[in-house]
Parts: sequence; C-alpha cells; structure tokens
Amino acid sequence: MVEVRIHKKLGAGTAEFTLNTDLTIAEGSLLTLYGPSGSGKTSLLRGIAGLLPPDKGYIAFQDRTWFDSEKKINLPPQKRNIGYVFQDYALFPNMTVIENLKFAKSKSAPDNIIADLLDVMDLAALENRKPDTLSGGQKQRVALARALVQQPDVLLLDEPLAALDTDMRLSLQDHILDAHNKLGLTTIMVSHDLGEIMKLSDTTAIMKEGRITQLGPPGELFMEKHISGKFQFTGTVLHLIQQDVIYIISVLIGNNIVKVVAHPSEIEGILPGDKVVVASKAFNPVIYKISGNSASE
Amino acid sequence: MDIRYVNRLTGHIKNLQVEGQITLVTLLLEGDLEMKTIVIDTPESAEYLALNREVNILFKETEVVIGLEKTNGISLANKIDCKVQTLQSGTLLSGVDLECLPGNIRAIVSTEALSDMGIEPGKKVLAMIKLNEVMLSPK
Repeated sequence: MVEVRIHKKLGAGTAEFTLNTDLTIAEGSLLTLYGPSGSGKTSLLRGIAGLLPPDKGYIAFQDRTWFDSEKKINLPPQKRNIGYVFQDYALFPNMTVIENLKFAKSKSAPDNIIADLLDVMDLAALENRKPDTLSGGQKQRVALARALVQQPDVLLLDEPLAALDTDMRLSLQDHILDAHNKLGLTTIMVSHDLGEIMKLSDTTAIMKEGRITQLGPPGELFMEKHISGKFQFTGTVLHLIQQDVIYIISVLIGNNIVKVVAHPSEIEGILPGDKVVVASKAFNPVIYKISGNSASE
Repeated sequence: MDIRYVNRLTGHIKNLQVEGQITLVTLLLEGDLEMKTIVIDTPESAEYLALNREVNILFKETEVVIGLEKTNGISLANKIDCKVQTLQSGTLLSGVDLECLPGNIRAIVSTEALSDMGIEPGKKVLAMIKLNEVMLSPK
C-alpha cells in the first residue's frame, strides 16, 4: 500500500495553486493520473519519488515512511525503491543497451535479472546497440527495463508513451502491463490517452488544480454517465468475426469468454485488445445452480 | 465516450410507477408516441428517473420485432409505425433500416421471415420492442 497525503504550494503569481492530495493506493494496483496540463500530476509523481519535497504531509510504502514533515523524515529518492520513467528516455548515450541496464543494477539484485528483463522487454537482439541507433519505442523499452533492473516496489511512469506512434504505443502498453503483473509492482502512471487508461489501469484519479476530484475504476469514470442495464461487465475484446449482417465479438471477462452479437455500426473503432463494457438488461440472463448446498441432503 | 447504440431514441419521462425495486417508466417521444420500459431502479436509486426528464432510449437491433400492420392481440408494449428504407440481405439474417417518426430504427431479423412477409423498401410496417428490452441512460 502506498499512502500519499501531501501539501505543496506550486507555480507562481496568478498560476499559483496548491497540490493537496490524500491518496491510498493498494499494493499491486495500476493507478493512472488524468487531468489537464498543470493540474499537478507530474508534481505528485515527483513528490512520491522524493524529487520535490512537500511543504507538509506524509508518504509511506507499506510500513516504511518515506516522508513525514512532523517527524522530519525525508528519504532521498535512491532509498525509496522506486523506478521512474519519463517521456524522454534519459539513457546514457555512450553505453549500449546492456551497459545501460548493468549500470542501474544494484549489487544485491540477482545476476539473471538483466537477461530476464531483456527477454520480457523483447530487447535481447538489441543488447549491444547504442541508444541513438534505436527507435523511440525501443529506447522507451530500454528505459522501462532500466527502471525495472532496480527491482522497484513502486513504478512511476510520467507519460512514457506520449511521444510514440499508435502501433508502438499499443505494443509498449502490453510490455508495461506484462511487467506490472509479472513483477507484482504498484504502478502510478500519468496518461492523457483514455484508451490507454482503460486498457492498463484498475483505478484512475482525475486531478484538477492540485486536487484529486474523482477516483474510481476508469470504466465507471469515463463511461457515458450510466446505463440502466444491470447485467454489466468490463472486458477485453479478443476478436471480431463478421457473419452475415452482424459481427460476433468475443470478449474476455475475468477468466470467461463471452460472445456478443453486434451490428457493424455498433462496433466502429473497436479493435482486439480494447476494453469494453458489455451491458444487458437483468431480465435476459438465465441462472442455474452447478454446485453448492442442497436442502434435501 | 459515447455508447454507440444502434437504436437510440430520445424522449421525456411521462410517468413512473414504482413497485419495490422495479419501476415501470412511460416515455413520451416525438409525435406523441408512447414507449414503456421496466428497469430495476427507482427514483431513489437512479436520480435520472424523474418526471419530464429527457433520456436516451436504447435497444438492441436484434430485439426489434417487425409486423405487417396494426395488431392489437399482441403483448408487446412498444409499437412504432415505420416505413422500410433499405434492406441489407444476408444468408440467414438481414438488416432492415426503418424510418419512424421518433427517429430511425434498425432491426436484424431472419432473411426467411423477411421474404415470407414480402418486406421491401417503401413498405409500411410496425416495429415492436418488448418492454424489458429497453434500456435508459440519462442525457
């Protein structure tokens, strides 16, 4: 669990505002921060990382206090066990991919971690290349791998995919999700891309003028208000198959695959991998028992 | 983000009849057409359930029944006079675009039924939707 209760005066003159957040993030959660430019998203990340000391407040990971203005505790960034990835890759240009990773590795980290990350991030073939010979997406994969070499408890991502084209962004999203799940990270990511937010995060905090104005599952925050259908789930589109004048869409909901029939105009712009809401009236489903207590036994 | 519902009409809430957790909503659409839906919500659980409130009326294209003329002996609560605009014929299923007073409606029905009934562009038909197939969303 990450607890962040901080106060920090930001900006100057008429643009002055106060970052004032009270946020608790469950361990293993992937939280996205969404909001207009200048709403305090990056400042919040920097505050958590230890790069921007709050005026007052409290930041803790599990039972370890990172910052406490009353007790005058302020751990430096390198003691907070975080990984931080920015929009610009900030790789060492004179080092190869593998040298960049080795430089970031702490002595206590297991020796195979670099090979594992090269594998997870699909970088093995590029390990001896220098950053300036890599594409934007490849560089960002190296930056992500380098942040993960430090075996962080908390991964902070500040719009890491904003500079990439759509294909690259989709593939990097898969890498982020994969690493987040496999390594059991708690991840906080700034993003402006609603599709990305829906695909990656379980919780979204919407920020405005330094405050969190809304907090909840992105499907609830961004859906067109509410629809009255009570049989409602969020899932991931697996594939769409055209059949006569309709489409059959397979959607993964939890561990189950359900199929939904839809008219072509209903699914315009929906692609495999997209997060969707499947809704129906509560009147339609049938229910029957497959196990449990029997009254006659 | 918008729900791209194929059949989306708008109307105002004319009457609410609440029984326990269920509400029978009577809607008034353009052309004095009434539609009814039943939802598992009440004015207490869903603030948009208020008299005169404008709402989206959503139903799936596969839940639209097409009839040839005025029929009284049918339990379907929602009957809308329409004119067939175009057909998209498939082997088993076909799409029918209907021009109706409160807005256009699209139906997906069996190709066999369409040809049996002699449905073709220009023909006047009755589009019918079961009470419990209609969803609402606040505008």
